[in-house]
Amino acid sequence: MEIVWQWFTAPLQFQFMVQALFVSVLVGAICAVLSCYLTLKGWALMGDAVSHAVLPGVVLAYGLQIPLALGAFVFGLGSVLLIGLIKARTRVKEDAAIGLVFTGFFAFGLVLISKLPSNIDLMHILFGNLLGISPENLIQTIVITVIATIGLFIFRKDLLLFCFDPVHARTIGLNTAFLYYLLLIILALTIVAAQQTVGIILVISMLITPGSTAYLLTDNFDRMTILAVLSAVFSSVLGTYLSYHFDASPAGCIVVLQTLIFLMTMIFAPKYGLIARR
Amino acid sequence: MQNPTIELENVTVSYDRTVALHGANLRVNQGSIAGIVGMNGSGKSTLFKAIMGLEKLRSGRVLIQGKSINKIHQRNLLAYIPQTEAVDWDFPISVYDVVMMGRYGYMNCLRIPREIDRKIVQQSLAKTQLTGLEQRQIGELSGGQKKRTFLARTLAQQGEIILLDEPFAGVDVKTEKAIIELLIELRDLGKTILISTHDLSSIATFCDQVILVNKTILAYGTIADVFTPENLSRTFGGSVPQGLF
Ligand SMILES: Nc1ncnc2c1ncn2[C@@H]1O[C@H](COP(=O)(O)OP(=O)(O)OP(=O)(O)O)[C@@H](O)[C@H]1O
Ligand SMILES: [Mg+2]
Repeated sequence: MEIVWQWFTAPLQFQFMVQALFVSVLVGAICAVLSCYLTLKGWALMGDAVSHAVLPGVVLAYGLQIPLALGAFVFGLGSVLLIGLIKARTRVKEDAAIGLVFTGFFAFGLVLISKLPSNIDLMHILFGNLLGISPENLIQTIVITVIATIGLFIFRKDLLLFCFDPVHARTIGLNTAFLYYLLLIILALTIVAAQQTVGIILVISMLITPGSTAYLLTDNFDRMTILAVLSAVFSSVLGTYLSYHFDASPAGCIVVLQTLIFLMTMIFAPKYGLIARR
Repeated sequence: MQNPTIELENVTVSYDRTVALHGANLRVNQGSIAGIVGMNGSGKSTLFKAIMGLEKLRSGRVLIQGKSINKIHQRNLLAYIPQTEAVDWDFPISVYDVVMMGRYGYMNCLRIPREIDRKIVQQSLAKTQLTGLEQRQIGELSGGQKKRTFLARTLAQQGEIILLDEPFAGVDVKTEKAIIELLIELRDLGKTILISTHDLSSIATFCDQVILVNKTILAYGTIADVFTPENLSRTFGGSVPQGLF
């Protein structure tokens, strides 16, 4: 018992660990809430695209000394608009358009990093830097989380309706274009915040796995949100500790835990698990 | 002559390269039930989408109560029951929540139900015989209950124009009768109802007007005028369904 207690409390003497735990919980929670909407809307691929497409934005923002969120946001949105354009104006199908655009943007980001004279650490952008968060990044993460939470809270019912039945949403006078971009903006913002903890390669996991796990556990959206948040927060906390004790990648630990929880749920979920459905 | 509630003038809708509806004209009067008849892929759902302003028109215009469709959405005028295939039945939502969504247009921006909203939802559930099933997830309903859930949402919405896309698909005779009775009741309250269906035999029992669709609107008007062998063979491509005459 004593050892377990030590395992959890000893790291807390370090400021960076306290901060890491705080940020990973914050980011895990907001990603989890958003993931419920993304999984229900079928936007997993879109989330993947946006998370890769923000790379050039992040790099340019570093170079220009403007907030990372702004740069990421411009390129995240730009990629989605371009995907929409290709889909609407050519005969290329949506999945091809998504794959084409995000890899192009990502590659452009790589070129920028290798050519811009700056001290950006590519590895930190790609895989996060949870144990070395700067004060500015801490503030940025908090601000983004607050904004995203407010947005998701105020429009939670409209967004749910938008995911479920956009036609009905239109007929009762909701502005579905607004809801589309709202979800997109929150997605881009959240990716920027999550870039801190898990980096832009693995953020998609934070945006899909908790929602998918919860989707297998309940038929009620509010409960789904709560379960998603719980599973994400649990993975974030335990993953951060594991990475500290075993000197392993924090992003890797968090995402592996989330995936394990999903696999367990997939097998053992009371109603929709593999065993129950047999 | 009465003022039409729904007017289509030379409406063309196309997806990429397939023209789904070409030069369609239509007038539907207030307080009437119009049945839309056509084969699979003839453009029935597209006609609904055009009326709701969801598809860009290649040509022509749609007027609802004399006004362009883009102006009417704010007014909660239209209610739509989607085709069964268009609904995600695995969505984590209950019957009660779906029906409550019919009230969103009347609520404040946080969509917090008021006493009146709850009362109307209860009444709508009772009218569609769904009382007791409120907390069911929508995928756990029978075909008829699924249809009635969306019908209840339409009642809760209290729209003036009700569009039903194949409400009788996968529904037993008893439920079909119940739905028809409700529609007649609504029509007598002055609502305008558009309904697409494959059940030609029941159309005559409750529709005031029929609309024949095959890539365009071939004909519309009273059953006696429109259901001619020639029109029907144009609608169904020569193979007129049995049991109609
Ligand atoms: N989103 C879409 N993209 C491309 N083509 C479409 C789309 N929706 C419909 N179509 C095409 O337009 C035509 C009309 O389709 P529509 O759904 O209106 O037919 P329908 O009469 O409702 O058929 P059903 O009885 O099967 O419901 C069809 O040829 C269909 O393939
Ligand atoms: Mg159809």
